[in-house]
Amino acid sequence: MSPTTIKVYRDLMEKNAAWADMTRRLAAKKHVAILNLIGSPGCGKTTLLEGMVRELGPHFRFAVLEGDVETTRDAERLDALRIPVCQLITSGACHLSAQLVHTAFRDLPLDDLDVVIVENVGNLVCPAGFDIGEAAKVAVLSLTEGEDKPVKYPQLFHEAGAVVMTKIDLLPHIPADLDTCIAAVRQVNGAVPVFPVCALDGRGLPPWIAWIERLATQTRGKDR
Amino acid sequence: MHEFSICEQLVRVIGEELARVNSERPVHLLRARVAVGRLRQIVPENLRFAFEVLTRDTPAEGASLELREIPVTATCGGCGWHGEVEPNRFVCPECGGTNLEAHTGRELFLESLEIEDDEPDNHQSLS
Repeated sequence: MSPTTIKVYRDLMEKNAAWADMTRRLAAKKHVAILNLIGSPGCGKTTLLEGMVRELGPHFRFAVLEGDVETTRDAERLDALRIPVCQLITSGACHLSAQLVHTAFRDLPLDDLDVVIVENVGNLVCPAGFDIGEAAKVAVLSLTEGEDKPVKYPQLFHEAGAVVMTKIDLLPHIPADLDTCIAAVRQVNGAVPVFPVCALDGRGLPPWIAWIERLATQTRGKDR
Repeated sequence: MHEFSICEQLVRVIGEELARVNSERPVHLLRARVAVGRLRQIVPENLRFAFEVLTRDTPAEGASLELREIPVTATCGGCGWHGEVEPNRFVCPECGGTNLEAHTGRELFLESLEIEDDEPDNHQSLS
């Protein structure tokens, strides 16, 4: 036969989307809000979570799904603080897939939780393209990485529901300007809330925690 | 590097579509057309390399991969302007506002396949 063209129109993310939807339905049923924390290796994602544990008080109960290419080090750090944590090891993959997240999420004690924070693999590119069933993506950017990262990695910052800027304690020592960095975020996402923090001493954490608390309250309010 | 994961899905979907083709003889793929939104941050060379590797020993081996880039379009919530923007500049060119809603740019789908069935007698008749 001569060459034939078949029209297809199939979403290449369909399988990932199906797993993400399953997670989203389960989260809605259990009134749990899922956050997808995305940032470079070393930007301070795990330190941010450690800082939150110290500042949190009775605001909400959270567990962490810890994505890494290798080792259980980050999970051990959080386990030491008595946070329910599950380590997801991708063995080389640059992002968490919705399927991997779902299998860990469904095994968490969801009835006793308000928020599940998924710490994605350290990477500003790949995790941004994969829905894992989250209520919001959170971009984590340390000021030592450079003010222009939001415009260099636009997909993540465009889709983020919140941006956390870490390591503000280093501002006196580095040639970075907080306002310039926030302006770069605004270029790709005009409305997103930005939270400058120092997770080590707790500066800036209360507004960030209040933002999560509002999200958790909205989630609890649904279907009830 | 996410191109590899995406290509795995592409090859899976192509396999399913080829299996559905109603043909007496096995078919092979000549060309696959994929629509890619600019917000997806796909590097065409990486996707092509993954395609070449992942289609080895399948009916899609040797097929060409045609990518159709879809621009990012958005509407300004401030003044109503609508048009194309750069992926890293969601700023309204009319009023300078940053409250832009994106409409296109996140696409990632297989649009069409060009196939041909294997004709084992071809070589004999040509010689």
